[in-house]
Amino acid sequence: MAKPLIVCRDLSIIYNQGKSNEFKALTGVNTDIYEGEYIILFGASGSGKSTLMYSIQGSLPPGEGTLLIKGDDIYSYPPSERVYFQRYVMGIIFQSFNLIGSLSVLDNVALPMIFCDAEKTTRERRAQSLLDRFGVGHVSHKIPAMLSGGQQQRVSVARSMVNDPRILLADEPTGNLDSVSTQQVMDKIDEINTFDKRTIIMVSHNAAHLSYAHRVYYLKDGYVVREVVNPQRKQIKPVREGETIVTELEQLARLYPYDSVDTLRVKSMVNFLTQDYTYTQIGRLEHAISLFIKGKIDRDTFIKGLVLKHEQGGVEMQEKEARKMAHTTEILMSQSDDIRRFRAKKENDDIFFSQHKLAERLRDHLMGVYRIKLNKKQDEHLVEMIADRVTGVSEESQFNERMLRGVRNGGLGLDVKEADELTRYFEKIIAQGVDVSYKS
Amino acid sequence: MRVQDLAQLSTRMFKTNPLRTWLTILGMGVGTGAVVVLVGLGFGLQKIILEQIVFGETLLSLGVSATGSQNLKLDPETVDTFKNFPEVQDASPLARFPALVTYKGLTGNVFIQGVEPSYLRYAGITATFGDVFTDDDAGDTNSIMLSPATLKLFGIDDEESFVGKKVSFRLLVPAEDGSGDINEVPIDKEYTVRGITKEQGVLNALMMLPELRNHVGIEEYERIQVRVDTNENLPIVEAKLIEEGYRVTALSKTVEQASKIFQGIQAVLATFGGIALIVSAIGMFNTMTVTLLERTKEIGIMRTIGASPKDVKNLFISESIVVGFLGGISGILMGVMIGGSINILLNIVAGQFGGQAVSLFSFPLGFLAFIAIFSAAVGYLTGVFPARRAATLNPLDAIRYE
Repeated sequence: MAKPLIVCRDLSIIYNQGKSNEFKALTGVNTDIYEGEYIILFGASGSGKSTLMYSIQGSLPPGEGTLLIKGDDIYSYPPSERVYFQRYVMGIIFQSFNLIGSLSVLDNVALPMIFCDAEKTTRERRAQSLLDRFGVGHVSHKIPAMLSGGQQQRVSVARSMVNDPRILLADEPTGNLDSVSTQQVMDKIDEINTFDKRTIIMVSHNAAHLSYAHRVYYLKDGYVVREVVNPQRKQIKPVREGETIVTELEQLARLYPYDSVDTLRVKSMVNFLTQDYTYTQIGRLEHAISLFIKGKIDRDTFIKGLVLKHEQGGVEMQEKEARKMAHTTEILMSQSDDIRRFRAKKENDDIFFSQHKLAERLRDHLMGVYRIKLNKKQDEHLVEMIADRVTGVSEESQFNERMLRGVRNGGLGLDVKEADELTRYFEKIIAQGVDVSYKS
Repeated sequence: MRVQDLAQLSTRMFKTNPLRTWLTILGMGVGTGAVVVLVGLGFGLQKIILEQIVFGETLLSLGVSATGSQNLKLDPETVDTFKNFPEVQDASPLARFPALVTYKGLTGNVFIQGVEPSYLRYAGITATFGDVFTDDDAGDTNSIMLSPATLKLFGIDDEESFVGKKVSFRLLVPAEDGSGDINEVPIDKEYTVRGITKEQGVLNALMMLPELRNHVGIEEYERIQVRVDTNENLPIVEAKLIEEGYRVTALSKTVEQASKIFQGIQAVLATFGGIALIVSAIGMFNTMTVTLLERTKEIGIMRTIGASPKDVKNLFISESIVVGFLGGISGILMGVMIGGSINILLNIVAGQFGGQAVSLFSFPLGFLAFIAIFSAAVGYLTGVFPARRAATLNPLDAIRYE
């Protein structure tokens, strides 16, 4: 059995030990990382994931336990000799790039080689070839400030690789990047792992990146709470048969990255109790609905996809059920159009669809679906309630409460069951029809 | 890290922070400039004194004169006695008579001094203009040398133009009958002025002793210059002569004392300069400390990508050495420029007022080289503490420092 490249045994790291502000950043961490693995240390901020990475990097001596790199306890060396590891064994990428502003891009990349006494021509050739490889060769003579964030991060990837280290450490490398740059950088790091066969240890809190890794260590409050194997990648870490098996929990962990194992078990159970569909089926159904509501597939294709056998990539449900789903989806989508029109009214008034008319149409639809007869007073109230809810004057709970309220008090006087169903249905329409812009 | 890379990395501040870097250098420059100017002044003063004195034989000579209290006389026998001292190489007398000098109808009082050429060497008398008497001139009967003050008698400012002019003398000799009367002995010929001496503040005319003897009988000398063979014997002979009751003046002693005084002056001046230098060094230290804080993050980055603590330390030290050294160079330039321009200014003023041109400031090359090296050393000292601190920073704390 191959020996692990990095071994942590009962590793604890305590900040400000012995002082009043003592803080235990890591407790009893055990990890085995093998040559060529892509490891993600995952957790919320303050979970100790960066602490673990910097400890491996050689900047944070463990308070207790052992840390071995290639069988060497790097903290047994004085700082002047420990740099050997930082020079030849490890490269590092930071969230904030950390390029040196007063040096050109080329010199930044060549800097680690300067510390290794490399010849000027040698190191510049090496730096330029790496910059070319990562698509930033054309800016090598600019200073870092003139580059975009994505370019800077690719420069820093080049810098981390300049001494051809066996381990690449990355501290949230995409934390400061837009989605396009994030993709580029993640692809480059993946390439370094799969093509150059380098070991990657990445700190991240972005669940979208988990699929890149062989294994993910989940950290919380200084503990490694879970180690999850990525079933999509061929594992490097030797696994003894039956020791750990890939379970549904691994799948769930990717859906709910911040939840603990216990919560995931509960989720698994609840799913089984309340839903007839498996997670795979739900995943495929989501995909089909996504295409359908965007108008990328028509009704028949949608139904066909739902009915299709599991082995053929379908959801494998009854045709009757599938048709019903298609029908409901269509109604919800058409009604949500009215919501959209209603909200668009704020800007320009359309004589064909006045807001009142739209609210009346929504009212008629709701009455039609739930077959409720209302008197004139109730009609007026409902139109008013719809208008209030759609414009945002009232919230879901207020909407629901007014349905229950007596007619004299401006409500509808419905019973609880009716009111809840109606509210839920209407909220679904609103959810589809309201444009949401998330503020970041 | 290789030296050339270190040099490249440690001169980045000229690009990233040119204003502050140059101001720091200027600060150091003003400090070292003050030292250069003040010590240069000390050197200059010393040089002025020493330039007036001829070295060599002059320093090995003792001036001997009679005290008058004891019944000692300086006569030709005395000269021979002195010459017979084992440590004495030679003795050369000086006879002196008051006289009247006449030039183009103007007459003034002077002293005529009759000497042998060797006396001039032993006493360190040299010519500002014209020629001094040499051994070949021992039998000269036609020329004399004048001290600059004599020319003032005739209202002549341009000393050089007086060389070659002719003057006549009347000797004033005490009557031999002891009555105290003074007889006037006219010398019936004109002498050519062959040179102007450097002696200040005295009215002297130098002529060869045999020529003087042609006109007046010399019984007694005013003074005898005794040339001692070696430096070690100087105090021995001096002590012997003093013991015999003579008054002895040694130029070497004067020079020694003058040197000591000027060393003292130099030390005082250097102290003031040193204070200025310390002030600027503290300023530089402050700048280096601020630079350290400012670059904490950079240090952290460098440490995490493979710089050893020593690399970081060297980087800081070489930066401050560069600043210190350039400060020293700029200080030298400033100091030499200030001193040089004062020299020029003084010479112009001296020329206007007819005084002698002097260099008040003097900058020996060795001293300037020392200042350049010294300022680099000051740079090293101001850099070494921040550098040591930079080297011991925890890289992780450093990298998170904003």
